[in-house]
Amino acid sequence: MHLCRSMFRLNVKEEIKIMKKLFRGVSVGLLGCALMFSALTSSAERSVKVLGWGAQSGPLKSFGVNSETALRSAVAEINAAGGVKLGDGSMVPIEVIGYEDSACKKDQNIAILRKTASTTDAIVGMGTTCSGSCQAMFGVLQKKVGDASDSGLQMPILADTCIRPGLAKISEWAFRNVPNEIAMYDALFAWLSQQHPDIKTFSGGTETDQGHSFITHTAVIVQAAIKHGFDWVGPAVPELGPKVKQGMKELQAAAKTQHWLMGDTNYSVQARKIKKQNPDMILVSSHPFSACGFLKEIKRQRVKPKLLVGLTSSASQETLNGCMKEAEGIIIPTGFAPITAQAQKANTIVTKAGGFLDLHSAAAWENAYLVKAAVEAAGITAKSETLAEDRAKFRDALATITAIDGLIGPVTRDTATGEASKPYVFVQVVDGKWKVIHDPRG
Amino acid sequence: MEDFWYEVVEVSQSIADGLLFGSTYALIGIGFTLIFGAMGKLNMAYAAAALGGAYAGLAGFVLIKAPLVLVFGISAIATAALGYAIYFTCFRFIPVNNHLASLMASVGALFFIDEVVVHVTRGSPLTFPSMFGDVYFELGPYGIRGDLVFVFIIGLISTGVLLYILFRTRLGLATRAVAQQDIAARLCGIGVHSTNSVTFAIAGVLGGIAGAMTAAAVGVLSPVMTVPLTVKGIIVAVIGGLGSIPGAIIAGLFVGGFENVILYFRGIDERDMYVVALLFVFLVFRPNGLFGTAITRD
Repeated sequence: MHLCRSMFRLNVKEEIKIMKKLFRGVSVGLLGCALMFSALTSSAERSVKVLGWGAQSGPLKSFGVNSETALRSAVAEINAAGGVKLGDGSMVPIEVIGYEDSACKKDQNIAILRKTASTTDAIVGMGTTCSGSCQAMFGVLQKKVGDASDSGLQMPILADTCIRPGLAKISEWAFRNVPNEIAMYDALFAWLSQQHPDIKTFSGGTETDQGHSFITHTAVIVQAAIKHGFDWVGPAVPELGPKVKQGMKELQAAAKTQHWLMGDTNYSVQARKIKKQNPDMILVSSHPFSACGFLKEIKRQRVKPKLLVGLTSSASQETLNGCMKEAEGIIIPTGFAPITAQAQKANTIVTKAGGFLDLHSAAAWENAYLVKAAVEAAGITAKSETLAEDRAKFRDALATITAIDGLIGPVTRDTATGEASKPYVFVQVVDGKWKVIHDPRG
Repeated sequence: MEDFWYEVVEVSQSIADGLLFGSTYALIGIGFTLIFGAMGKLNMAYAAAALGGAYAGLAGFVLIKAPLVLVFGISAIATAALGYAIYFTCFRFIPVNNHLASLMASVGALFFIDEVVVHVTRGSPLTFPSMFGDVYFELGPYGIRGDLVFVFIIGLISTGVLLYILFRTRLGLATRAVAQQDIAARLCGIGVHSTNSVTFAIAGVLGGIAGAMTAAAVGVLSPVMTVPLTVKGIIVAVIGGLGSIPGAIIAGLFVGGFENVILYFRGIDERDMYVVALLFVFLVFRPNGLFGTAITRD
């Protein structure tokens, strides 16, 4: 009986020992699992967050919609290939945490920028539609990096659509992947002067309420045409020519009766003025809606120029939707056309996603890859506690990138001016479709 | 001397173009004035509804290959339906004396319709079919667009039909009775709400024709046209005299011609400034417009 009792005690003691060991083992195992799970979830939850914005309402909605579609499509492709490599070696996805509606309004753009900088974990803001909005928004950023006396926002911005020349110098936090219009139109008119020696004279108009159209028309397009030997036959402009800024002002004043507004419905006076000048070449420096209105009017008035040249932003599907017949023959320089395998692939993906790849949305696609390159060069950690540091590192990395592979060729950035330089081609509406008629790279 | 005659021809040509195009302003202005005449309130969503109807007409053209006459018909019917919806949502249940509430509600409807159009079309301009778009009459140094002549004629016919309805039918009699004294009209057995809703629908028919004609005259339909047409319509209605249909017609043609002359001489940057200054002059020196009746206490 005693023996039984002692055996029983022994068994109980042994069981307790075993239970203790088991408990320790299970505890250690659970702790290990918990730590491993924690580490795994922490890595899985981390992502490089970006926030985009552009026009999602209003008459320029198509620009924002196409840019968003291109950005999201490119990000999906990057993530499918493994994502981006952080400073600690882990691979995480890029996450587009939203695409806000800036409606092409300056105040709305600034409000979104402030909100993004102060309330989100986005390391970069991507967008936005309209050069005027970009100009106002870039003005809110710190001008010089590290300037303690400047309380401007320290938030990297990577733009795809604001194309007006000279915006990059506003802030060192602002980056643009946009074509250089000065170079594009210079090359275009140089080429046209060789290809069309019969074309001697030109005139044209623009929409004065759109900053990009108006400034590009007066400061870039007309000047480039004159530089390459075409004669302006519009209203007499005393200083047009080498003195670009003075010429721009004079042209603005002299040609005011042959310009229009974006929402205009009647172009009869402008068309008649240009008809009387009887130019060989007409410049239509305007976005698709008013460009189409004007093109239809000159057709009605039987104006038959030998050549039409358009604004780079009109090299889009919208122009074909609005005036395919009237735009037949128009030549426009553009930073995108599906001429490479990569561009064709991107074009197919974006089209399937319901967007349209043009010079602006193609830049949004390229910018996703630019984010990947900058993140990997910066070695950021993508943790909320290092957000400000990550943004600064990201900006510095972006500033050091001087070349990336774009969809139709290398995109380079001049570190001195901050301006990008992109390959471009000349396209023409032929049989109702955009056709590449010349690639300056041969 | 040659330059002088050239200028004479060009200015008169600009005026002629403006007058013809002004017929679309006149039709939009009539819509504003008709509703103001009936209810004493401004329907700010009128031009937006007109363009919304034109989009419906365009949808008919694209989807079912509707002939142009039917495109205009679809536009008119769609705008009439929109007009009725605007009455129901922005005016029907708002107290008669609360003018500001209905005004703001109709401003909301303007932006709502505009954004719906933007959402559906992504803001892309769309080609609108033109009737007689290739017809161009050349009379010596003058050239007249055939489609604008068509717009002008349709505008005249529409106005004639409207005037007939207003002054030769029981519905018109009821509309005028409600406009003059709604309580007395009610005592006579006239349904004020039903009369007002029909007035909105009739104004909508007119607006749909105006929207389709404006789109046909430009050749392109885009949401960017909404606000400029709304502003022009209000200017025309005020200059013509709120509530006066003949006033809206004359003011529409006048504003069309006036802005073309200003554009010819002063350019695009000053055009709208002069047109708005014209409105300002009328508001200060002739607040009841060309043909409006003085607003007095009832």
